[in-house]
Amino acid sequence: MTGRVIVVTSGKGGVGKTTASANLGVALAATGASVGLVDMDIGLRNLDILMGLENRVVYNLVDVIEDRCKLRQALVKDKRHPNLCLLPAAQTRDKNAVTSDQMRELCEEMKKIFDFVIVDSPAGIETGFQNAIAGADEAVIVTTPEMSAVRDADRIIGLLEARKDQIEQYRLVLNRYRPAMVQANDMMSIDDVLEILSVKLLGVVPEDEDIIISTNKGEPVSGTDNTRSGLAFRNIARRLRGEDVPLMDLEVKSNTWINRLVNFFAPVKA
Amino acid sequence: MQEVKNQVMNWLSQFRHSTVRTTAKDRMRSMLTHDRLELPAGRLECLEEELMCVVNRYFELDKTTTRFDLEQEPDRKASLIANFPLLRSKC
Repeated sequence: MTGRVIVVTSGKGGVGKTTASANLGVALAATGASVGLVDMDIGLRNLDILMGLENRVVYNLVDVIEDRCKLRQALVKDKRHPNLCLLPAAQTRDKNAVTSDQMRELCEEMKKIFDFVIVDSPAGIETGFQNAIAGADEAVIVTTPEMSAVRDADRIIGLLEARKDQIEQYRLVLNRYRPAMVQANDMMSIDDVLEILSVKLLGVVPEDEDIIISTNKGEPVSGTDNTRSGLAFRNIARRLRGEDVPLMDLEVKSNTWINRLVNFFAPVKA
Repeated sequence: MQEVKNQVMNWLSQFRHSTVRTTAKDRMRSMLTHDRLELPAGRLECLEEELMCVVNRYFELDKTTTRFDLEQEPDRKASLIANFPLLRSKC
């Protein structure tokens, strides 16, 4: 088996990389694919918490690289999603514990076991990021429609563009989208961000309080029904599998006559 | 119907003043154009001044309406837009 290694990255911290990694992992596993999630944020381990697996971590990525255990021993199986495993980051080491070559080897090994290897990259553009992209075939760039996040995403795109021979494609996930604010012209729209970054869109995830609840419960939203963000992540997973899935309807509907009139003349739907 | 709508939209757009959204977009565009070129602050102004000096040797310029700007192009490229309105030849 040769799987695909997809790195989830952003430049800026706090835009939802880890949330996206966890949710894409769960959503891809639900489509029947086998998925290996890799937490590359060495020293600041978090993916295990979002997955609700923090009590089951025995070995970690650095243990595997330093030969203290076999890869299979370090993989934490998610009991709720039988074809999903997590390779946790080390919490007591730092980013320099791993080299790009070691990371490339690890990705190669994981590709033999899984259909999809999702690598959760740390924030920043230094060693941790370089290690995270070392073995990647493809990248998912997560950003929010805020100026600082978009600027950092652009920096990441520049760095990925420079490694075109290795990273075949990169696509954007626009996270924490607030359609009502866009409709009020208080925020950049999907098209604005895509135009500025000149990048392909993989999906849009609306701002959703259910994300906070799901993090607290340790159950990613994409595994539960009836959440808008969960549906958005499931759509993204289907697109990663090559399906053509239209964007979900994000428009905030209001039925007063004045709103209907405004909507009639609204330029393009978000 | 669509055409009528477009015409009305075009007509309406002249009354549209800038919104937070367009401000953000414009700032973003200019910021990224500078970032991508790794252009230090003041560099563009420096070039403008030099170019204007050269043009000024040959023409009298209307310095109140000059335009000197970077514009974002598709595919992450940029172009330099310079517009020096000329009043008369100097020779």
